[in-house]
Amino acid sequence: MKKDSLRLRLVFAITSLLFLIVLAISPAKNYFREYRSVQRDFRSLGMSRAKSLKAAQAYQKRPVAIEQVWLRDLDRVDRCTTCHLGVADPAMADAPEPHRLHPRTAHTPGDLERMGCTSCHAGEGLATVRPEAHGTTAEAESPMIPLAYLEAGCGRCHTSEKVSQASLLSRGRALMTRAGCYACHAVRSHEQFRSEAPPLNTISVKTGGEWIHRWLKDPSAVNPNATMPNFHLEPKEIEELTHYLFSRPVPRDLAAAIEKASAEPAGDAATGKKIFSESRCISCHTVEGKGNGSAPELSKVASSATPGWLLAFLRDPQAFDPVTRMPRYHFSDQESRDLVAYVTAEFRDFDAPKEILEPIRVNQTLAENGKKAFSRLGCFSCHDPIQGEATEKFGPELNGIGEKRAASLDFGKRTDLARNPPAWLAAKLENPRSFAAGLRMPSYGFNADDTHAIVTALLSLGSQPVPEAYRPPLSGSPAPIPGGAVGALIQRYRCLSCHQIGTQGGDISMAPLTHEGSKVQRDWLVDYLMLSFTIRPILEERMPVFRIPKDEAVLLADAIESFYVDPSIPEDPFAGRPEPDRNPVEGQRLYVTLGCRGCHIVGAGGGYYGPPLTDTSTRLKPGWIYAWLKAPQRWRADVRCPNYGLSDTDALRLTAYLGTLHGEKAGAKVGGKK
Amino acid sequence: MKRAFLAVLPLFLVAACTGKRAAAPSKPEASAPPSYEIRLGKETFRLYCQTCHGETGAGDGFNAFNLDPHPRDISDTAFQKKKSDSDLADVIRRGGAGAGLSALMPPWGRTLSEAQINEVILYVRTLKKPPA
Repeated sequence: MKKDSLRLRLVFAITSLLFLIVLAISPAKNYFREYRSVQRDFRSLGMSRAKSLKAAQAYQKRPVAIEQVWLRDLDRVDRCTTCHLGVADPAMADAPEPHRLHPRTAHTPGDLERMGCTSCHAGEGLATVRPEAHGTTAEAESPMIPLAYLEAGCGRCHTSEKVSQASLLSRGRALMTRAGCYACHAVRSHEQFRSEAPPLNTISVKTGGEWIHRWLKDPSAVNPNATMPNFHLEPKEIEELTHYLFSRPVPRDLAAAIEKASAEPAGDAATGKKIFSESRCISCHTVEGKGNGSAPELSKVASSATPGWLLAFLRDPQAFDPVTRMPRYHFSDQESRDLVAYVTAEFRDFDAPKEILEPIRVNQTLAENGKKAFSRLGCFSCHDPIQGEATEKFGPELNGIGEKRAASLDFGKRTDLARNPPAWLAAKLENPRSFAAGLRMPSYGFNADDTHAIVTALLSLGSQPVPEAYRPPLSGSPAPIPGGAVGALIQRYRCLSCHQIGTQGGDISMAPLTHEGSKVQRDWLVDYLMLSFTIRPILEERMPVFRIPKDEAVLLADAIESFYVDPSIPEDPFAGRPEPDRNPVEGQRLYVTLGCRGCHIVGAGGGYYGPPLTDTSTRLKPGWIYAWLKAPQRWRADVRCPNYGLSDTDALRLTAYLGTLHGEKAGAKVGGKK
Repeated sequence: MKRAFLAVLPLFLVAACTGKRAAAPSKPEASAPPSYEIRLGKETFRLYCQTCHGETGAGDGFNAFNLDPHPRDISDTAFQKKKSDSDLADVIRRGGAGAGLSALMPPWGRTLSEAQINEVILYVRTLKKPPA
């Protein structure tokens, strides 16, 4: 009996002890949580930095507790401020982490309540233990974006290609567009993407088997501006693909045009040389590396295409490739012959074998195999997008790639890599096939900087679009592109390959056309369209001389004059102003004292960062000059002309002075033309 | 006594664990990038200042050679020492003319924000020539 009771007591004692331990664990765990000591550190740091007794007391009274921001629209709670207590505390400007004040950004300090922390930085908002919150473990659901790639966070909401104040992200996105990633990978808002790769339906009459061999082996060895990546093809695959490409039928009209062009007599190379430099081909192309580089290098073009093809293409590039960025120049038959004669004589690969442009005799079996290779390798994604559209995208979807857990990424053979998403993505870009045998992504030869930018852009791709409340307002509106005859001319000369209209257009030109009608004098524009000349001597990219005939130039200028205007720019800024406001002498004095000649040339001296102003009144409308002087950045956000904060009177006087500048050369030219 | 110790033991264990976790060295960064502000400042410098002051601040930007007086070498150690941040901010804001210098340096106070000006100054400070 006594023994039993003793035993019972012992059981009771042990159970209660266990119970006590269990009970103690939870508060103890809480008591020793890292954040509590962080908060205590913060308290003493704050007290030591406080400028007044009251402030010190406020720090002292701070309770030790979980802090959080509730993001209703995102259905998320961010507890990051539990440890990062100083993010909005100016006294913590240079404090050590985690107490430091958050740097000023477009969203800090204003948007902390609305955006919390994880909207930009990612990470596990609910967690209050560091590895979980920061997602540094491979299993972490939402790893934080490392600082070096932080602009990826901007990209979660800002989905446009260009994001202001996020130059790395913008560069990464531009590189992705140029490389054509979206042709093989589905990415939200790029569903309409079309690769700029040329259609291959005339390649059999354009070039020879040897050239195709060389190109397929390594495109950038043939043309340094090539956007086609290296597919590391087997010699057998190259052979088969070449036979397949030569077996493809050529559309009848193009074949006829090429045949007709081939039969024409050769032009005069010396005249062609003049036309070539006049036409400003290097505003897009390069010749031995000199030029813009958004279009192919031309120094060996005659060893990649037959003269007949070149001639037919030059006359109507848009018939060969409906989405090409190349404009259709207004060369006469003889002028295009001269141009091709020059190109054929000079732009050759003198090391290439003579038969580089020899066609091959098609072997049907090889061609059949080549056709299979063409779809196996995904060539159709870029070169035959119609076929590509019907099927699934060739590569895996990239939406959500920025939110992947490291543990869900297949590192394959790459045991050398750090187990985190940026390292994985960078290695995928640098050496895509090193992960496993049989992978099909080609290599693009990106350098380290490009890779960094592209990884940033990739990390910005979330799996879901952000809620409406977080989408930034559209900047600017897509300005209308007129249809009819004017629209056809804008298409023909591919104005949007270089210029911007509203939110559309290329980035080669510095002159958006959105307000062009309010900006330039109509007569000047007619002359400029017919014979464009240098406005900014420092720029390599200049407006090509399209040889636009007068009737077309008038049509375009009139359309620009009526379409692309801003109603807030006055036609006559001097209307209703007192006489002294029109005083050009006072304006000239201002021109000197403000230091305008630091950037502009009038007469002899001056800098040349801005356009010379010698012929201002011939070129610009007074209303525009006035509106520009009042607020240059309003018309082009990134323009470097500083806002001098001029009074109306000063701006008008300066306008009056610039209105007296006719410029002998330009004046004579305009006079002569009329 | 022994029992009391047993009861407290788990607390020590937990403490030891948390302590260890807190003390574990965090992963070293690949390379410490310049601060966010300096990077923004560099971008602003590239856009607005570099054309005259040059990439290294030596006053050899491409627009400089037509200018008389020449832009100042702002990477010069003596210059950097002489000018306080507020001196630099003032000349950026009000331009050369505002500070009694050449008007060819335009005033940026209405084009750049206060924060941008401060960032540019942070970046300009990194241009200081290392002592020869």
